[in-house]
Amino acid sequence: MPAAFRLGAVPPEPPFRHAIEVAGLRKVYTNTRGTFRRTKVENVALDGIDLAIEPGELFGLLGPNGAGKTTTVKILTTLLLPTAGTARVLGHDVVSKTNDVRRRIGFVFGGERGLYWRLSGYDNLRYFADLYRIPPQVSKRRIAELLEVLGLAGREHDKVERYSRGMKQRLHLARGLLNDPDVLFLDEPTIGLDPVGARDLRVLVRGLADGGKTIFLTTHYMFEADAICDRVAVIKKGRIVAQGTPRSIKQLVGEIGVVEFEVDGISPLDLDRLQGLAGVSSVVTAERELASVVTIHCAQPADVMTQLGKLLDGIALRNVSSREATLEDAYVALIGEQS
Amino acid sequence: MRSLVRAAWRAFLTSMRLRVVNPWAYLNWLVFPLIFAAVGLFVLTSTGYTRVAYGVLGGGIIGFWGIAYLDGGNSIQDERWQGTLEQIFAVPTPLFVIVIGKILGSLLMGLLSFIPTVALAYFGFHAALPGIDPLRFAISLAVLTFSFFVISLALTPLFAVWRTAFTVLNGLELGVYGLCGFMFPITQLPGWLQPVSYVLSPTWATRALYAAASPTRGSDVTTDWLIALGLSLAYLVASIFLYRFVEIRARVTGELALA
Repeated sequence: MPAAFRLGAVPPEPPFRHAIEVAGLRKVYTNTRGTFRRTKVENVALDGIDLAIEPGELFGLLGPNGAGKTTTVKILTTLLLPTAGTARVLGHDVVSKTNDVRRRIGFVFGGERGLYWRLSGYDNLRYFADLYRIPPQVSKRRIAELLEVLGLAGREHDKVERYSRGMKQRLHLARGLLNDPDVLFLDEPTIGLDPVGARDLRVLVRGLADGGKTIFLTTHYMFEADAICDRVAVIKKGRIVAQGTPRSIKQLVGEIGVVEFEVDGISPLDLDRLQGLAGVSSVVTAERELASVVTIHCAQPADVMTQLGKLLDGIALRNVSSREATLEDAYVALIGEQS
Repeated sequence: MRSLVRAAWRAFLTSMRLRVVNPWAYLNWLVFPLIFAAVGLFVLTSTGYTRVAYGVLGGGIIGFWGIAYLDGGNSIQDERWQGTLEQIFAVPTPLFVIVIGKILGSLLMGLLSFIPTVALAYFGFHAALPGIDPLRFAISLAVLTFSFFVISLALTPLFAVWRTAFTVLNGLELGVYGLCGFMFPITQLPGWLQPVSYVLSPTWATRALYAAASPTRGSDVTTDWLIALGLSLAYLVASIFLYRFVEIRARVTGELALA
């Protein structure tokens, strides 16, 4: 990791056990429905979640839209009050010690919004540096460092509206790092970025975690979480349905492998026979332009591969391969099986 | 404390930068006051000197009020559209400090409204204020500025928790024109409406301003200043509670985000 990633001194040993500690966290939004006869409707966004994240850990919160990821981030960044339960960041309660939390965290929400487009990148950073109450001599040096590290040096005086999406996202990250936070919250930071931009951002984020910062990341991209997170939790309808390392999450669903092959066509009867093999948990077909792709989730891919020929005798199998189950496979299984 | 002053100053500078690059802002401080002043001057030039003062200053006061009152709220609404409202809410600087910086920018732009309207009166209608008492006028203008500042400070946070605040509070903007005597004396209002005028601090500040600009009235403007300041301080105390309410309400409802 480049030395410039380590902004300022290494954070002192924290006097708390967990960088983020959440217990029984619940958030209920109350809305009204109807035009004339208005009735109150309760929408449970979080239904009692528990999390404990170690200092320096890169933690990923995964879940479908509306599962409660952003609500969790907003409570932890003091933007929302929980309805019940407790949440502490660096030992500070997010409800009663709001300012202590705000001083020591940074947050980045995905997307292009959240910046002053008519101002330059530098003016955006200067504004937020003063709002974070950073002494001018420190902010000047830090802004220069961040612009350099995030590849914005030379373009800092251009208006943000002239920036590419990737540059805007890097400017978001620079803003989130202005106060050299101990904990950084990233809510879908790579959304809408091109593959190269997304990969660069992932490298940066991993570098920050390696430099000692605690990172709380939400994402839709399972390969992203698999590649950079130390631990992940899967949230669905406001509840944590699984939590652990990416590998342990994969094992949770009882699958350690996937066998895939292409065929011109396959009958439901053949699919049933595949499903009946020992250790097979699911068989999924997807239609491509010139072939059907069959994906078998199973415990023993090698055994399934050896039986394929006998079981589907007379059917031309192409591109037969086996691979380890990905986090996405496990995620789909978890989200699907809980519904 | 220095860091808070620096934050307010930066909020002021940033709001000014955003105004300068926004062509619509010129409508508020330049075009609208000119329209009001021109209409007022057409009507009032034949009704005697005292009433002409309403034409000369009225457009400027309306422009000043419109910017001071609405720009703060507009800027909060703009922050919401830009997605920056949550960002400025979750910093260690209290919201009211940022709002103070924004309002100071509004007030500066608002004061500029007097330049085109007075110029229009002088060059277009040959109307001037020869009986003006410069010291009393300056103090009255300062009291009016403080009055607008406090009202704007108190109402701006409502835009943070109330997305439709603009449409509701828009009515207040127009109502204050009449209720506070910006373009005509409040004695022209029906008797039952005048008590409402008396609890609005700009009424007293405006009265002092016109008295200081009029050669025919040697009234005691000190009383007007004190009442305007007293009412403003009462609004200020109320705004402390309002900011606490907004801080909690915004975090309960999640209204800071657009969706």
